[in-house]
Amino acid sequence: MNFAILRNRIGYTFEVMKATAFATYKEWAAYRSHMAVSLLVSPIFFLTQMFIWRAIYSTRTTVTGLTLEQMLTYYGITAIINHLIYDSADWNLQMLIRTGKFLTFMLRPISHISFAMGQKIGHRILALWVEFIPVYLLFLFVFKIKLIPAQPAWSILSIILSFVLLFLINYCIGIIGFWLTKTEGIGRGFLVVRDIFAGSFVPLTLFPEFLQKILFFLPFQFITYVPIRVFIGSYDLAGIKLSIPEVVGLQAIAVIVMFVVYKLLWNLGIKRFTGVGA
Amino acid sequence: MISNIRIHLQGIKTALASRMAYRGDFFMSIIIMLFEEMLIPLITILVYHNGASLPGWGIYEVLLIQSIFLLARGIAFPFFFGIVWNTIERVREGVFDLLLIKPKSVLFLAIVTGFDSEDLGKLVGGITLFTLAVSRIPTPGVLEWVQFAVLFFIALLVLFGFALILAGLGIVWIGNFRVYEIFFTVTNFGMYPASLFSKGLQTLITLIIPIAILGYIPATVLLGRPAAGTLGAVAASIAFFSLSIWFWYWMQKKYTSAGG
Repeated sequence: MNFAILRNRIGYTFEVMKATAFATYKEWAAYRSHMAVSLLVSPIFFLTQMFIWRAIYSTRTTVTGLTLEQMLTYYGITAIINHLIYDSADWNLQMLIRTGKFLTFMLRPISHISFAMGQKIGHRILALWVEFIPVYLLFLFVFKIKLIPAQPAWSILSIILSFVLLFLINYCIGIIGFWLTKTEGIGRGFLVVRDIFAGSFVPLTLFPEFLQKILFFLPFQFITYVPIRVFIGSYDLAGIKLSIPEVVGLQAIAVIVMFVVYKLLWNLGIKRFTGVGA
Repeated sequence: MISNIRIHLQGIKTALASRMAYRGDFFMSIIIMLFEEMLIPLITILVYHNGASLPGWGIYEVLLIQSIFLLARGIAFPFFFGIVWNTIERVREGVFDLLLIKPKSVLFLAIVTGFDSEDLGKLVGGITLFTLAVSRIPTPGVLEWVQFAVLFFIALLVLFGFALILAGLGIVWIGNFRVYEIFFTVTNFGMYPASLFSKGLQTLITLIIPIAILGYIPATVLLGRPAAGTLGAVAASIAFFSLSIWFWYWMQKKYTSAGG
């Protein structure tokens, strides 16, 4: 393939993603009040955590090396990062496969993954001003949580990688739909495991040492735990301390590995798809 | 009454039969629900495992509060909380009218057709954790068990009240399943000792929106040290339940449709 063809293909994919993102933005803007539920949910959830952790820290100064301020910052960053990277590619793809609507994508001159990525980008751009900015300001000014990244450039890069990684992981879960007709159970199970081991509920340093060692080699930490630690400016898991460039580098490798996994799964799964009519 | 029970059982039977078409996924969902319910207790265990604690509360006392909360939710979700998704989905799809034209109470039919079989996993999780927690605290006396039973029943009433409010909201706030997130977040306070919260928040979750009765208040009775304001919480729960019934009927009147 010569360079001109490759450039045209990339340009075409970009145009598809841009058009999909724009359409998704407009579609979801009609349901922006649904998205705005986060303005209630995020602060209330944080308030619970604040009371609980304040009580826990009333008898000690650190828990697994984290001070109260760091722990609350952890939860604050978790909330805002989740608004930026949220993804439902798994559900969307499984629904298309189950209902047979995926057939229409087989007939279109576009790849489904670029369409799905476009959807995610459009959805999250809307969330940027409906969820992220208001929640960020609430945390910053009402809860006085220090939400300024220690190293902004690395932090932005880490969040972008997390955005892509979560998409790829969820997309792979969606691909399971090619093998199983109804995948809600297995999909949900995977999401629970993913969120626990990504550090979405508690810092991974709270887990037993042996589990931390296992988690270090799994991709889940790169979804939430790593971007949070990059935001804070230090990384530590299972007693392993890495510099920020090192851990972001590992995150990039995880994205590449996940992309390879997606390609393998896709090539195997697409052969199993059958659809009638639609 | 007997006819209503028959209809209810038929609703459960139908829901189970349709879910059994994908039985592998059904059993997997039940197991996942069970694990999902263990999330907050898992965090509690991790906190205590790291040598930290909630001041004045032992691990099994905290787990008792959380298990009672999960037990109540485990009964509510399969048996009547389904009115929330049932109503939201029906209103969005325009088939809520089918409940309106039948010769039975709309609320009753919304409950019957909203049986959620996979949420039985929540019940299994609640029972398991409750059994474990109760076995690790000083054995409660008969009086404590009677008081607990009354308070637990009231906790179920409060959950029914929440279900009515969320389902009512689903009539006017079309297709918004995120009301569940509001519910989970708000009721999260009920999974911890209320004494950890500020005075204002304690008053709010005990006497205004009685979330404390979902776990904390019944647990204190079993532990033999009833929480201050228990009677107030009972009165608030009854008021909350009455208000939610009124809200449901008010929202039902607001329902508009082009006929499904």
